[in-house]
Formats: sequence, C-alpha cells, structure tokens
Amino acid sequence: MSYRAPNEQEAGERSWEVVRAAYESREPVAWPRRHARPLIAGALVAAVVAAALSPPGRSVVRSFRKAVGVEHAQPALFSVPTPGQLLVTSRSGAWVVQRDGSKRLLGHYRDAVFSPHGLFIAATHANELVALDPKGHVHWTLARPSPRFPAWAGTRTDTRIAYVSRGRVRVVAGDGAGDRAVAPAALVPPAWRPGAGRVLAYAPTPRTVAVVNIDSGTTLLRLGSSEAIRKLEWSDNGRLLLVFTPHATRVYDPRGHIVTQDDPSDAMLDIDAAFQPGTERVAVVRIPPSGISGSSDVFFLRTGRKLFNVTGAFRQLAWAPNGRWALVTWPTANQWIFVREGRRKIIGVSRISTQFGGLPRVADWCCAS
Amino acid sequence: MVGSGRDERAWVRRAQAGSASDFEALFRAHWAPAYRAAYLVVRDAAAAEDIAQEAFLAAVRALDRFDRRRPFGPWLHRIVVNRAIDWARARALRPEAEQVDTPAPERPERDEELLRELDRLSPEHRAVIVLRYLLDYTPGEIAEMLELPRGTVNSRLRRGLDSLKELLQ
Repeated sequence: MSYRAPNEQEAGERSWEVVRAAYESREPVAWPRRHARPLIAGALVAAVVAAALSPPGRSVVRSFRKAVGVEHAQPALFSVPTPGQLLVTSRSGAWVVQRDGSKRLLGHYRDAVFSPHGLFIAATHANELVALDPKGHVHWTLARPSPRFPAWAGTRTDTRIAYVSRGRVRVVAGDGAGDRAVAPAALVPPAWRPGAGRVLAYAPTPRTVAVVNIDSGTTLLRLGSSEAIRKLEWSDNGRLLLVFTPHATRVYDPRGHIVTQDDPSDAMLDIDAAFQPGTERVAVVRIPPSGISGSSDVFFLRTGRKLFNVTGAFRQLAWAPNGRWALVTWPTANQWIFVREGRRKIIGVSRISTQFGGLPRVADWCCAS
Repeated sequence: MVGSGRDERAWVRRAQAGSASDFEALFRAHWAPAYRAAYLVVRDAAAAEDIAQEAFLAAVRALDRFDRRRPFGPWLHRIVVNRAIDWARARALRPEAEQVDTPAPERPERDEELLRELDRLSPEHRAVIVLRYLLDYTPGEIAEMLELPRGTVNSRLRRGLDSLKELLQ
C-alpha cells in the first residue's frame, strides 16, 4: 500500500524540533563506560565464584562493589537515613523498621500497609484481613478468602480499607465494620485517590482500570492497557494516576488523557515505578531481561534524568514520605541502596536477606511527621 | 526511505556516541512509516503526530540502552502501534472526544474509500492490517511485536480483510 498521511511533512518537521531538542539535552553515556558494562558483568560472575571458593575472593567482590559505586556498604541496617517507619514483608512475615534501625517482626503476614497516620497496620493472612498496631497487637480480624493488597486511606475520624478477595474488590471501614464487595476485580493492588471523597482506582480485569466513587457507585474513568497491569498509584495531589506495566507504563490526567508514558526497548523492561512524593514526577526502575547481564537504571520518566544505576537487576523502588530519599532493592548484590535525590548521596546496606529472613519487599513507608 | 540494516546499525551506533546528524538520519528514515502507521490506526492527524513523536522521544530516552543487534524499526513501530491502539481504545470510551479530523473527499477514490472503511474496524484489527500491508511485516513479526499468538494475528488479518471486503461490496 503506498499512502501518505495528511500533513506528513509538516508534522515531521515539528516533531523533529522536539525530538532533536530531547536528543541534544540528553546525557550520553561515554564510550568506555558503555563498553565496560559487559566487562563489569563478567567481573561480577568471576567475583561471585571467587568469593565462594576462597577468602581472597571476597576482596574481588569488594573491589567490584567499589567499581559500581556502592562503596563501603553497611554490613547491617544500622539506621534509616530519613524520618519515617518502613513496613517490610519477606518470607518470614511482616516487619516494622524504625528510623534507628530497630526491627519488629509482626507475624506471618503476606501483605501489609500502614493506616493513613501510621498508627495501625492492615495485614493479610491466608484467609484473614487483620488490623494491628506497630507493636503487633491485633485489634480486629475479618475472615475472607485469600485477601490481598490492602490499601488504607482516609482522615483521623473516617478511614477505610480496600482489598481484593476471591475476584472482587471489597471495602471495609477502619474499625472492621461494614465490609462489602464493590465490583469484580483482577489481582492488582487497588489505590485510593488522595484528598476528599472516597475514590478508588482498581483493575476490573488484568488490562483495564476503573476509577470509581465508592459512595455513589459512579465510574469516573475507565482505561485500557496493552498488557497486564502490575501497579496503580496516585500522585500526592490526587491529580495523576500511574498505571504501571513492564513495557507500557502510562500516567493519566483526571480526564483520562495520557500525560506521560514509557515503552522500554525490546532489550529492557521496567520492573517498578513510583511518584516522587510531593511532585508529579515518576521515577522508573529499568532492568535487563531475566538471564541477560546488563545494567539497571532508576530515572525520571519525563526528562530521562538518571537517579542511579548499577550492574545487575534492581527489584523495587520506594520513596521516603518526604520525597528526598529513595530506597532501591538490589537482589543481585543482596543489598538495599538508599539514594538521596538532589545533592546525591548513596548508602548501601548489605546482607539484607539475612536480616529479614528472606529477600524483603518494601510494603510501605510512612509518616515523616 | 528506511535505510539498510547496516546503515541503520551505523546510525544507531553513532547516534549513541552523540552524532546529531546520524540521529537525524534515523529520524528521517523512520518518521513517515511511524506517522502513517499511527494515523491509519487512530485516523486523527494531531494524535498521530503526538504518538509518533512520543515514540521517538522514547527512543531518545532508551538510546544508550538500545541493543544494536536488534533492528530499530520494529521496536519503534511496536511502540507506535501499541500507543495508537491505546489511544483509539481510550477514544472509544470517551464518545465526546474529538471526531476524525480529515474530511472525506466529495468523490472518494478507491484508496480513500478503503481507508474510511478501515476506520470502522476495531483498533486491534486496524493495527495488524497496517503492520502487514503498510509496513510489510510478516505475521510472525507482527505476532512478536504485539506479543500475540501467531494464530491470533492470522485470524485478525483474515477477519479484518473479510470485513473490509464486505464493507466495500
């Protein structure tokens, strides 16, 4: 088919101006660094083998870590570099981590999330939704089949928890009363819109998103996705909705228009993304596909500005409530990396899976004040 | 005109090293197919321009990480077509959204008629037809690009062509 679309030439010239400006403002990776990546990846394999075989090998590991930028990682989580409490889940259960590094195992829970002011925690067992305090005292329980992904929102006097159970999204008040099914839902964590009104984003199917007012039952928005949705998240001001998928992440405005999007190349995939608190900026974690050596990047979506990168695969990105520090989990090196944005500072914490009885996942980070 | 595979790999390599002229060669070679593909799926010139432009911006962001052993065109077209499908689906969910901005000619020629009929197909069917007959991808390549089973691509092509035939009869 030979075909010319309308305004092809003019559209091309206009777009070239925009694309050229983006190209010129990017920070190209210098030749030696780009070509050094396969060498560094090879060095990692050699270092791991050497470390396993002989004590001198450990110095190779140290020099490798130095090479990728996380020098002198702390051997344990002595402290968290910014205010707030972390909620972490691992094979051994849910843990609360205080700023001074002290940890408390709450019990064998699968998911966990703080209440809006960090006074309570909603967690899930195999067939139970549980509300407890950060010391682990259970306040109420609700028996439901396979509850997953609690999301807790509201004011000091009126809170509610949304969660997914047996193919439905359900909502229960913060005191455990009035549990009800809202709609059929896929196994994707729902997200409450910050601000006034009880507005919830959830996934009716793995590739669709609905934004509904829970009180009136009104559907405010319906969105489609070209691949299965992994995560929904609102910006702090409740204006933008992040719909995260590994190859087609989208950020929508209140009218359902795409304001930012990301489609990594075939050779890479996105593993996580999150709004920087207090902003409308989204940071993305991009990794090489499983089994392929390469580097992982954390970068801001619109500008492409890189926050941090290493060799190996990152897993997760979590922002501190004040938006100044990000925590990146780095399973390849069994480390957590705290990265301060702006005046960049990096703090690594090694042997992280040993400290939490399995590789930990950051479930929530709450309440700087 | 899209360059040879060797040209393209050289453009990508030099663009990664900072050569604006090579990046421009890459843009010029791929703009028209990308814009046409987007336009034929969304049938809205402004949206097609945004979609193709965003795909190139994604290319800029991914340039340093781009695997030069892979061809650039299919990667770009995958982004373009997936975004165009998203846009067309979103428009279908917003009936108040703007109408197609290209008025039909008073005496449409066969091609124009065909394109207007194409507009009546679902975005998913339009996308495979555009990839197959405008961009000359094989069904296997389309399947890989859109992450669909090969049989689904073939059936969409078949059903799309059958619908076009019926509509034009």
